[in-house]
Amino acid sequence: MKTAWVALALVATLALQTTGAPLLAGLGVSVDLVLVLVTLVAIANGPVGGLWVGTVGGLLQDALSGGVIGVGGLAKTVVGYGVGALAVHFNVSWPWHQALVVFLASLVHAAGFVGLYGLLSDERAMTSNSSVLSQAVANAVIGIGVALAARATPQWVMRRRMRRRRLTRRFGG
Amino acid sequence: MTKLRRRTGVLLLAVIIGHVVLISVQVNTPSGVRLLESVTFGLFSEVQRAVARSVGGVQGLWHGYVGLVSVQEENGALREDVAQLQLRLQQERAMAQRARGLEELLELKRNVAFSTVSARVIAGDATPYFRTVTIDRGTGDGVRRDAAVVSPAGVVGRVIKDPGSRASKVQLLIDRSAAAGVLIERTRVQGVAMGVVDEGLLRMEYVSKLEDVQVGDLVVTSGADGVYPKGVPVGQVAEVGGGPGLYQTIHVRPNVEFGDLEDVLVLVPEAAASVTVAGGG
Repeated sequence: MKTAWVALALVATLALQTTGAPLLAGLGVSVDLVLVLVTLVAIANGPVGGLWVGTVGGLLQDALSGGVIGVGGLAKTVVGYGVGALAVHFNVSWPWHQALVVFLASLVHAAGFVGLYGLLSDERAMTSNSSVLSQAVANAVIGIGVALAARATPQWVMRRRMRRRRLTRRFGG
Repeated sequence: MTKLRRRTGVLLLAVIIGHVVLISVQVNTPSGVRLLESVTFGLFSEVQRAVARSVGGVQGLWHGYVGLVSVQEENGALREDVAQLQLRLQQERAMAQRARGLEELLELKRNVAFSTVSARVIAGDATPYFRTVTIDRGTGDGVRRDAAVVSPAGVVGRVIKDPGSRASKVQLLIDRSAAAGVLIERTRVQGVAMGVVDEGLLRMEYVSKLEDVQVGDLVVTSGADGVYPKGVPVGQVAEVGGGPGLYQTIHVRPNVEFGDLEDVLVLVPEAAASVTVAGGG
């Protein structure tokens, strides 16, 4: 069930990345929503979960983009595994901590992704340092938003259930 | 716990090796050979070299002393082979001449007019590092790989990879690995326009410092690349600088607003366009 939810989230994130992110890119803000998802799933599920989501998410992203299939997959696999391993040893349950992890994961991912492309071709630079930094900040902002929403959702669902139960008791059902 | 950690480590290693193999299958070395083939070939050739050396030693021993009896017979067979190869060489020469003629015909065909297929941009790139979009037209509409994509404002890009039946991927001209043959309309000075990383501008390369280029000059396609037809607007010169070396540093602001692309036209050959339903133009 959990795997199905993660798969669904991955598909939704990819759809959002290809349709919504270009609009943000038009405003000069670039984000990698799949990386945010991989990081948050790795924090919640540990290294193996992070590894698999990173692999599948990265490969799907590669297949949908114009690049070499496997480069994004490899970068995200390493990030997913690394973040998962980190989450096992450190307490990163607070949204602020998670945002920091997303920020750092974005930098590591960019280094891996751009570095791999640098090894594979002698073409011009893929992106600038300022762009990598701004993307990491944007990813972190989105990460904290998602983390806060994920934290608030169970409480909201429980409050809603309680209210419904009270109303049922008061008016009968 | 240690066992579990080891198993996770093995899994990571396996996945990484899988990715490296996957990447190697797609990437070419500078000499044009695929990386996987190159590495496999490099590794196996050493084994083959060792085996061949041993076999060669034994063969040398045999031919040098025992096998001399068969030399005369072998000499006759080789003469026959030479005669056959000479005949084959003549045939190959004739085929090469024919290929040259076909190339000339193809060049002529390139100058034939294009038809257009209207398409809608349905998605952007899945990663922030590439500048590609997906359009809702594919092979079923006559779209082919390397087809030029334009908008009323000017050049948008070209179709990359093999298109699907109902969708195609278009590499925008501002992508870092995109390029187009262009010229300055006023002076007919030719160059190559390439994407500038993260800036949404184009860089016009290979224009000599002796050439006259001014800010505001209109840049159009030259048709030299074989993808974009001649005379399609690309943009305007935004900046001209000296730069090191023989060439000028020229930045071109594209006419097309790549941030809000919605509808585009794909240029398809006349024959392919005739099968389309939604052909505009």
